[in-house]
Amino acid sequence: MNDGDLLINVENVTLRFGGVVSLRDVSLAMRRGEILAVIGPNGAGKTSLFNSITGVYQPQEGTITFASNRAPLLSVIGKKTHRIAQAGVSRTFQASRLFSALTVFENVKIGAEDHGGIGLAGSLVKGPRTRKGERASDRVAAELLNFVDLYHEANTIASQLSYGARRRLEIARALATGPEVILLDEPAAGTNPSEKLELTSLIRRVRDERGVSVLLIEHDMKLVMALAERIYVLNFGSIIAEGTPEEIRVNPAVIDAYLGTATEETSA
Amino acid sequence: MNLLTRSSLKRLLAVLLMSALVTLMTGAPGGFGVPAYTGLHGSFLERVSYFGLFATQRWFLFLTLGVIAWLLSTYYQRHSLTIRRRLEPALAAPTRVMQRRTNRWVLIAVVVVVTLVLPKFVHQQFWMYLIVEQIGVWILLALGLNVVVGFAGLLDLGFAAFYAIGAYATAWFTGVLPTPAPFNHPIPTLWCIPIGVGLAMVFGIILGIPTLRLRGDYLAIVTLGFALIIDDFVGTQSGLTGGGEGSLTVPKFAVNAGPFHYTWGISPTPYYYLCFLFVVIFLVAFTALEYSRVGRAWVAIREDEVAAESIGINPLKYKVMAFSVGAASGGFGGVLTAGLIGNINPTLFQYQVSVNVLILVIFGGMGSIWGVAIGAIIVQFVTSYLDNYQPWGYQLNDLYMYIGALLIIMMIFRPAGILPSRRRQREIRGYEEDYEGHLDEVLTGDEL
Amino acid sequence: MGFAHFWLSGFDQIRTGFWAYFAVGLENGSLYAMIAVGYTLVYGVLGLINFAHGEVFMCGGFAAVFLTHGILGDSIANGWESVFLILAGIAIAGSVSALVATGVEQIAYRPLRRRNAPKLAYLISAIGASYFLQTLAGKEFGYGQNVFPAQVFPAGQTMFFIGKTPIHTIQVVCLVVGVIMFIAADRIVRSTKLGRGIRAVAQDSETSALMGVNIDRTITLTFIIGGSLAGAAGFLYALQNGIVQSSGTELGIYAFTAAVLGGIGNLRGAALGGLLIGLFGSFSVPFAFEGNISWTEIYTFIILVLVLIVRPTGILGEKSGRTA
Repeated sequence: MNDGDLLINVENVTLRFGGVVSLRDVSLAMRRGEILAVIGPNGAGKTSLFNSITGVYQPQEGTITFASNRAPLLSVIGKKTHRIAQAGVSRTFQASRLFSALTVFENVKIGAEDHGGIGLAGSLVKGPRTRKGERASDRVAAELLNFVDLYHEANTIASQLSYGARRRLEIARALATGPEVILLDEPAAGTNPSEKLELTSLIRRVRDERGVSVLLIEHDMKLVMALAERIYVLNFGSIIAEGTPEEIRVNPAVIDAYLGTATEETSA
Repeated sequence: MNLLTRSSLKRLLAVLLMSALVTLMTGAPGGFGVPAYTGLHGSFLERVSYFGLFATQRWFLFLTLGVIAWLLSTYYQRHSLTIRRRLEPALAAPTRVMQRRTNRWVLIAVVVVVTLVLPKFVHQQFWMYLIVEQIGVWILLALGLNVVVGFAGLLDLGFAAFYAIGAYATAWFTGVLPTPAPFNHPIPTLWCIPIGVGLAMVFGIILGIPTLRLRGDYLAIVTLGFALIIDDFVGTQSGLTGGGEGSLTVPKFAVNAGPFHYTWGISPTPYYYLCFLFVVIFLVAFTALEYSRVGRAWVAIREDEVAAESIGINPLKYKVMAFSVGAASGGFGGVLTAGLIGNINPTLFQYQVSVNVLILVIFGGMGSIWGVAIGAIIVQFVTSYLDNYQPWGYQLNDLYMYIGALLIIMMIFRPAGILPSRRRQREIRGYEEDYEGHLDEVLTGDEL
Repeated sequence: MGFAHFWLSGFDQIRTGFWAYFAVGLENGSLYAMIAVGYTLVYGVLGLINFAHGEVFMCGGFAAVFLTHGILGDSIANGWESVFLILAGIAIAGSVSALVATGVEQIAYRPLRRRNAPKLAYLISAIGASYFLQTLAGKEFGYGQNVFPAQVFPAGQTMFFIGKTPIHTIQVVCLVVGVIMFIAADRIVRSTKLGRGIRAVAQDSETSALMGVNIDRTITLTFIIGGSLAGAAGFLYALQNGIVQSSGTELGIYAFTAAVLGGIGNLRGAALGGLLIGLFGSFSVPFAFEGNISWTEIYTFIILVLVLIVRPTGILGEKSGRTA
């Protein structure tokens, strides 16, 4: 693997909570521009891995680096979540965490705004720079809503959206920060088959049309096999397999880990 | 209508308990040289006469009222749907009316005009003074706390501290504290406005950075502890702050700019206009903030701090900002009070003040600038009336009893306030309906 | 006084009067522990700080004042009479406080629970309840008027000596009652069905409900336990210091710090924290600048802030468990 292509490099990460080891010597390499999936049974450590990459958890051992286009190599461990987000790593959550009282448009717009500086003066006296910024974030929000096909719902209160629409809104908001990689935590959980199809094509378009690399956790095997170019398999906090979908499908360790539970979900 | 069902009887018990409480609340006070139970005694056994027609002991009166209330509540239980349906439009009316833009501008114009000409109609100095001191200053404080509690969702129980800083800074810089003014150079009072505001804001930042990392309830307790300690401390450090008697008289505001000389005198009317000017300034400033990137970030943090972080919002930064901005208004209120009253002493800054400001914000509507301003006017007006006319067995300190009860009542029946911001109402309703076991600060996913 | 001199003289005072400070520390510590139990239990099952708990303590104190005056009047009790009166005082104070605690729960918290109100609503309601009770007590019994119960044993009576230091009856009583009541509470929480219910609800209320635990009843009983201990503490506190409407707020901060220090949600932590804060407070008295007693408050408060910032789970809390 060409090192220059590395986007996220997780090396020998161990994460412990009290006596429980959540991640055990986990290494994962993500290339720029790929769609990478992390799968594994419940409790395997997938969300903990995401949380470690986004700065919610601080692993005790190992390193995580993010090769951002905007900044020099960023060592993730020890950084605050919002810093990592500002550097170009976005995520969605397993249980939708939208700003329910805001409209669809506002949800995305907040993501598009630049939260770097203090901005107090600019907010009090709306000078030309502030207004330019507002117009810019308005544009980004509108374009993204179009991209996820929610433009017609722009003024709907987020809590009133259908489940599938909420998932798409979350992706739109995560994209609003202009990330280089987006971490999707079970984006298809709880969706019906037609919503799943929409999501699959949306996720692919995120990479193809916007150049954003995708790292996703999923339980729905059909979706994973259809989307992922490479797959890592976690079980009990350790990586037990890594490879292309075809390789993973026939990997005995993987089959063993899932132990007889259907390796293909047929419906929601 | 079966009155003897279990729930009905439980309700009777509850109503009678409430009635007993109200009896106590409105009854005679106890203590102060009399045996400790006279209050209880008097509240229940005192004979009260009505319209010279009949006299009865209070307990009987309240028992009767209680039973009547119970019967009414039973009726309400039965017909609650229809009653609520008919009341709904009335309850939603304030917000609905305010939603139409023309209505808003009309209201603003009316308020401005009324405020400008009010002094012409108020002839007694006493009332004018009251309006500034009891209402005007409190509007400022409420606006400030609204930024902290309403916009950023931080429960600050020590807001009076910023008020205190503004006032004491003024006293210090004008040289009326036992501690000499900085560089031994007292300055004109008007200059203390930016100084007081600035100091309050700085203090907000200093206090905020360590404490605003804490979760809601812990922040509340820490601010409470801080308020109690400051309260204690300021009162006892005579050398520094003039202790219990407070400072000497702060010189009145005066403008001495070139040919223009004007001194705020004894009459409260000039203070009224000064206060009004700054209320407008803060109103405009805070409204601008609400609909800005900062305001939206506050909403995001309030709604879901974890999600806000994931889109690059630094919660600590914005929380400290809210603290500091809110402090500005509080600080100015302090400066104004110093110029108006003259004598600054610790009783002005007790914990009660913070709770009082809190009820103004809660009653008016957390996060709703207009709601808070109007709520402040209403509550303070009622407070002043009670303090000055003292109906029934009302004593000065009883106010806080009513405030406490009102806080509970507001939370049970109308948490968004009387004139809620639409967003806030949606938030509260959304939280309650949407409740799926909200994930808290630790993401759990399907793991630990 | 020079800075170094100040600290040295402080330590000197502790050296010479060690047992006195220690005894006072244990006495206060027992009281703080008893009150802290209420904070910690309620936090465990509801996830909220019961701001009104201090007032529950205060009400117990006042109840005890009435009872003792009613029975004893102006006379001073002795011997077995004293024992009986102490028990009666604890019983009445505990019961009244338990009632007040339940009242607060039913009026200020339960309606919010029914509606799944956001956390902020509970806090505000709690503050309202606290303020209401405080002011009502002030109105009925006189603002700032410190009242004492009748002398259930001669005031200032010394029970025995350690070296030259007199150990007063009240100190022994506080410690003994504290230990006994705490053990009882601990037994209840650990071994009884109710106690298991409390722990279950504290861990996961939804699942507990599904498993048949009566949430409402469990919560009510939690408040009763916490209230009883606080009430007893109120009686004991009043015997030595008298009770006034602001006693609840005064001791509330100490007790709350104790609960957090020991590990919020952890019953034994409340006891540990209570004793530690009590001892700390006592030993910090010589270090109060200009003898100003507020400094003890300030020092304790600093501890609270430090704990919350550095180790929010407290001493006995798990590293990543329920945290402050």
